[in-house]
Amino acid sequence: MKRIVLLAALLLLNPACKRTAQEVVVYTSVDQVFSEPIFKEFERKSGITVRAVFDTEETKSTGVLNRLIAESQHPQADVFWANDPVRPFLLVKRSLAQPYLSPSAADIPATFRAPDGTWTDFAARARVLLVNKKRVSPAEMPRSIRDLSNPRWKGQTAIANPLFGTTTMHIAALFTMWGEEQARAFLTALRANNARIVSSNGEVKRLVATGETAFGLADTDDGFEAVKEGAPVEVVYPDQEGMGALVMPTSTVLVKGGPHPETGRKLVDYLLTPDVERRMAESAAHMPLRPDVPVPPGLKRVSDIKAMQVDYARVATDMERIEPWLRQWVGL
Amino acid sequence: MAEAVGRALRRALLRREQMLVLSAAGAVVLLTSALPLARLLTEIPGAGAAALSVLSAFRPWLLLIRSLMLAAAVTACAIAIGVPLGLLIARTDLPGRRALWMVHAFPMFLPPFLLALGWFQLFGREGFLGGEVTARLLFSEVGVVAVLALTFSPVVTSMMALALLGMDASLEEAARVAARPWRVATRILLPAARPALALAAIVVFALSVSELGVAMFLRVDVFPAAVFARLGGIQYAPGEAFALVVPLMPVALALLFLERRLVGAGSFAVAGLRGMSRAPIPLSGWRPAIAAGSWSVAAAGALPLAALALRAARGGGFGKLPQWIGQAPWTSIGTAVVAATVIAAVGLVLGHGAARRLRGASTLDALAVLAFVTPASVLGVGLIAVWNRPATSALYASVAILVIGYIARYAVVGIRAVASVVLQSAVHLEEAAAAAGARFWRRLVRIILPVNLRGIAAAWLLAVVFCLRDFETAVLYYPPGREPLPVRIFTLEANGPPPVVAALAVAHVLMTALVLAAGVLLVPRRRPE
Repeated sequence: MKRIVLLAALLLLNPACKRTAQEVVVYTSVDQVFSEPIFKEFERKSGITVRAVFDTEETKSTGVLNRLIAESQHPQADVFWANDPVRPFLLVKRSLAQPYLSPSAADIPATFRAPDGTWTDFAARARVLLVNKKRVSPAEMPRSIRDLSNPRWKGQTAIANPLFGTTTMHIAALFTMWGEEQARAFLTALRANNARIVSSNGEVKRLVATGETAFGLADTDDGFEAVKEGAPVEVVYPDQEGMGALVMPTSTVLVKGGPHPETGRKLVDYLLTPDVERRMAESAAHMPLRPDVPVPPGLKRVSDIKAMQVDYARVATDMERIEPWLRQWVGL
Repeated sequence: MAEAVGRALRRALLRREQMLVLSAAGAVVLLTSALPLARLLTEIPGAGAAALSVLSAFRPWLLLIRSLMLAAAVTACAIAIGVPLGLLIARTDLPGRRALWMVHAFPMFLPPFLLALGWFQLFGREGFLGGEVTARLLFSEVGVVAVLALTFSPVVTSMMALALLGMDASLEEAARVAARPWRVATRILLPAARPALALAAIVVFALSVSELGVAMFLRVDVFPAAVFARLGGIQYAPGEAFALVVPLMPVALALLFLERRLVGAGSFAVAGLRGMSRAPIPLSGWRPAIAAGSWSVAAAGALPLAALALRAARGGGFGKLPQWIGQAPWTSIGTAVVAATVIAAVGLVLGHGAARRLRGASTLDALAVLAFVTPASVLGVGLIAVWNRPATSALYASVAILVIGYIARYAVVGIRAVASVVLQSAVHLEEAAAAAGARFWRRLVRIILPVNLRGIAAAWLLAVVFCLRDFETAVLYYPPGREPLPVRIFTLEANGPPPVVAALAVAHVLMTALVLAAGVLLVPRRRPE
């Protein structure tokens, strides 16, 4: 028994358990593979240790948000870096966002900043159709998300579970844009068309890349990754002749009552710099909101595409409102 | 005067020693397992009509039935694989049976999600052996049952083998004088090992019914997913989630009842008498064919691990490990060892109490079972509600919360494992010590612990491995920057390069293998008879 206790003591005294005076706690739904290198760079430049909580693919966007809500009586996080612009409104609604006008955000277009500083957007993604070029000829290439319910593609399309991730926001945005009746009819048609409801956007990418489905709805970074991996995938920005593609900037929020407000502000300042937007464009195919940040070949800017004109605050309200119906639609 | 009071107090404490020791162990279970569940119970009235309407809807009940049916199918398949293998390993001259046991048993020590990831590398549409048909089968109820049955069948195999190895040889030897091997196996060995089989079946059923990761990955809707959708989904609704736990309570109680009836009452053998002294049953001419069949089953269980290793090697994943692995292995091992030590200590007191039917021990045992079958996400949210307070902030924000969570979920492993060990040991030593005036604590430390040391050490090792393989509990509240390795694997799985994710999975496999090897060295060896 002595040996066991000694071993345990040694293991718990390992470097992982060290606490430093200068630290910041960040909860993020931005993929760990992209966000962690940025935190490491911040650590290197500032000397502040970043302690992060990440989401899994299956709980993307909602896992850490729900943790923030669960911990609201005694917040543990200093900063929330959301992978979409809607979740911050859920924190604002619960008075969990601390207003902060970061000097780094001065050159970000005003529509992407809360006037009171409760949230600030940067590096964006768009919702796109990933199409397997081996299964779909150029003549039949889908152009609208309505093609997901086209009987021509019955049983050959996929979307991620709309209870989680950016798909939630997309569906809510459709309710905001089209109204209740049209949006419900579209989702019912999707069901009738045997669209596969899979665990995540990453899974949609996998299915399309391997040709298991002809096309599916995912995010620009999924498409960029698939192309980078050499998969026969074409990224289609949907509804460019119609309502436009849904653009989703990532968003930063300073958490009210967080344990390290000072270092929290420093991390927000760092995340909102043009350099981080450039890095997110290069590593994660996120479109910069600033017009002068360079983008890698193949990646479009927000100004290059027709974006869906939708009020994110209304989308947030609709998202909570449609949740029970959506859960029924999914079957949970 | 003070001396007299001190003496009186000491006498009073000694009189209540058994109660105090049981209470201390019980307090650990109550604080870690029961308190979070009780805290969530208070959420139901707040959730009001919504919580009740969840239970009045048809869909959750349908999912519950589906989950129970899937768990039953997994259990049946695990028994079909595990019973013959356990018998072959423990009682026959099968070549390489110890190695076979190790290869076959190893996958059960890994997170099932990780094995599903390996099967996907093999049988996904673009997998090493994959095609459209294999992918369809994998992403279906058939796939879930197959993955879980192969993962959990070693539980049956191992419990059967351990029971048969520990069995008194005299019955079997008497039967072998007159009967053929098949008759000895079916009429003597299998009936004698029935309690072990029942326990194994209950464990496999409980593990399968609460498993979320594999079903979610393979896109099969199950009951724990309905609970999870209310905690990890759009709307945070812990009241509704907990309302959904209510139907699981009869399931937990039924499992407990079955366990008591089939296992507790049927203590079948006394270990340490003549357990190992028999000659193995010869397989004769069937030996090569049976060996080939047995090794194929063991190899099938290890296939997904080979697939992960191959994916990692081909994509250069191992080279990138230092960049991505972080401190996660240290966090995993450190917290698992500490939690398992507490679990073993609690198991010693309450497991012994449950086996000897001491007052209160059975109730605490039942609570631990409930915490085990409750979906991990519910327990996790309860833990946040209880421990995220200013007074306990130091614990909540540190790795201590991982230890607390592991104890909450896996206390049952220590209690049940020790109970089954104590049930098989002779009670007369304890009775003799009590008659000679030894009090409870002294009997516990000087008699029960040394007599059952090997079994208790095995329970500790089992608890370490359960904590190491945990993903679903820890993912909800792991301390920032201190995630255990399974959590790191699955957070990186989101758009992370597949070879790196596969390499991390292989690192987890190696870590578990090393811990098991070190644990086996630490577990005291059986004394020669």
